[in-house]
Amino acid sequence: MNGSQIGVLLASLCAMAAVNAQSMFRGDATHSGRYAGPAPRQFHRVKWKFPTGDRVISSPVFKDSVVYFGGDDGNVYAVDAETGRQIWKRVTNGPVPATPAIVDGTLYVGSYDGKFYALDARTGALKWKITTEGERRFEAKGLHGLQPKNQTIADPFDVFLSSPVVVNGSVYFGSGDGNLYALDSATGDLRWKFKTGDVVHASPAFADGVLFFGSWDSYFYAVDATTGKEKWRFHAGEDPLVHNQVGFQSSPAVANGVVYTGCRDANLYALDAATGKEKWRFFNDLSWVITSPAVADGKVFFATSDSSLYHVVDANSGKPVIRQQGKAYMFSSPAIVGDVVFIGVLNGTLEARDAKTGELLWDFQVDTSKQNKGWVLTADRKFNVPFLYHSNWREAPIVANDQQIRIGGVFSSPLVVNGVVYFGSADGFLYALE
Amino acid sequence: MTVPGALQRLLVIVVFAAALPCRGEEAISGRWEGTTHIPDDDLNVIVDLAQENGTWVGSIIIPGLDVKGVPLTDITVKASAVNFSVKGTLGIQLKLQLDGSGKLTGSFEQAGNRALTTLQKTGPSQVEYPPRNTPVAKELEGEWKGDYQMLGYTRHVSIKFTNRGPDGAAAEFVIVGRRTNNLPVDLVTQEGDLLSVDSHEIGISFEGRLRDGKLGGAIRQGAIETPLVLERAK
Repeated sequence: MNGSQIGVLLASLCAMAAVNAQSMFRGDATHSGRYAGPAPRQFHRVKWKFPTGDRVISSPVFKDSVVYFGGDDGNVYAVDAETGRQIWKRVTNGPVPATPAIVDGTLYVGSYDGKFYALDARTGALKWKITTEGERRFEAKGLHGLQPKNQTIADPFDVFLSSPVVVNGSVYFGSGDGNLYALDSATGDLRWKFKTGDVVHASPAFADGVLFFGSWDSYFYAVDATTGKEKWRFHAGEDPLVHNQVGFQSSPAVANGVVYTGCRDANLYALDAATGKEKWRFFNDLSWVITSPAVADGKVFFATSDSSLYHVVDANSGKPVIRQQGKAYMFSSPAIVGDVVFIGVLNGTLEARDAKTGELLWDFQVDTSKQNKGWVLTADRKFNVPFLYHSNWREAPIVANDQQIRIGGVFSSPLVVNGVVYFGSADGFLYALE
Repeated sequence: MTVPGALQRLLVIVVFAAALPCRGEEAISGRWEGTTHIPDDDLNVIVDLAQENGTWVGSIIIPGLDVKGVPLTDITVKASAVNFSVKGTLGIQLKLQLDGSGKLTGSFEQAGNRALTTLQKTGPSQVEYPPRNTPVAKELEGEWKGDYQMLGYTRHVSIKFTNRGPDGAAAEFVIVGRRTNNLPVDLVTQEGDLLSVDSHEIGISFEGRLRDGKLGGAIRQGAIETPLVLERAK
């Protein structure tokens, strides 16, 4: 084998690794949020858009020219990445706002029906399914200050289900029953489960034999992936009055022995992966950090909800590097591809920002957002909050939240493969942009 | 003395023209009901307009937005054109024109969005007036201070009451958390021994009673209510 042949082989192996890193939530088991390949610095056209029966909260993953994702219409979809044609769909009995993982020809994903599925990635045929102790959304009395304060209210912003991570023959995921599950990826047999005090809808990250994840019980956990034994736990903020500033909805990323995670207590935390000791925190003035941080080149990329800020901070110190004012809440997790960062915005837009400066390169607004039914948005695409949330009585805030989401909010974290950007929208479509 | 025909005609025109604004303004007083067409939704709108001592006053009801009897501000009536804003955080403005069929038509603007509105007169005006400040008891005058916990951290409160004769009491309401917030107070009342201070614009209020030299009650922010005891500032 000559030098150029070796070069070609290495390039092929790198390309394969890059493609493999697109078949799980946040790219890989450490949830780096960094993807290989070219990134479009300009928007040219919608390559295709794929319709489903309800909102698409799930993030797409890619394997062998097929895009996979879940729909809130209860289906898991496999779509041809080139043409946007459906290859198969598999119905579950509940919404699927989780991101599937594809490993060795098997697709793993959970559903709001309280079951966890392993499907043949080629055909959608069922390989096995198990039943958890049941799904539920986070709930609390007087949640977010809604009335009446003694009534238990389910959180309309608890939109995601935990996305599985698959490592060394085990599949790990969190559940609304408060457990983190470890199953045999071939059979679905339970290896262990780890009980927390509340809903686990964040997705576990894996590094060096340890799983890292947060629960809505206000704790962040490190658990041995083999035994399921707790290694350490970290206590974040609590909010006993209205339960607004509590809980981990963000999924962590692990890099260089540090775990980075957002929290609803308005902090982005950097924790020592070995001890759980806090290295630094970045406070966001009561604004939730729902996005799962992306880590690249010694920097952490994340965004906030109410304050709608896009941040880049130094991974070692937490010192701010970039701060850009966005237009609306961001729950979508940033995807770093080359020198471009892609992130979804709940006003129905996908943004592409320069990774070095944070400047907006281009954005794409879905049609329902342009239509602005019910004046959900202001003329400059911010949420029209006083118009929308004018009452906190009965189901008014829930209906308002639903209206807000149906503008076409992009909760989904973008996936970029071969210069094409794939993402889901709450308008019910999966988009492919180039 | 005979007024020439041309001059007579001119006088008639001048008198008629002078009367026009008055007649237009009279026509604009009343209760107006109609619809604002926003995308995928229609809002029912009820506007009351009246003139008092040469000044226009008004209030508005929009059932779909939880708006009832909210005062109108910046009312201008020029001939057949009527413009006004709705007090509060919604930031609504209406720019209307009285047309030949007796309808007020024009735009309903909010947050940069604009929609067509058509209103029809349905009767005499029923303007609602906002509640007025009352005086507070002599022993409540001066500055009061206290702390409360909300959303995970402590905030310091200061309220200073001043009686202003016939205008009732005024209050300076300051909350210091991570920032210092001087709240715009729009209502101070004392009913019996119950004292209330409201900043409707910010959505924060305090309600309490004087007991044993302390002003004990609760602070409300939106629907979130938490206990607060104020003591006289030293």
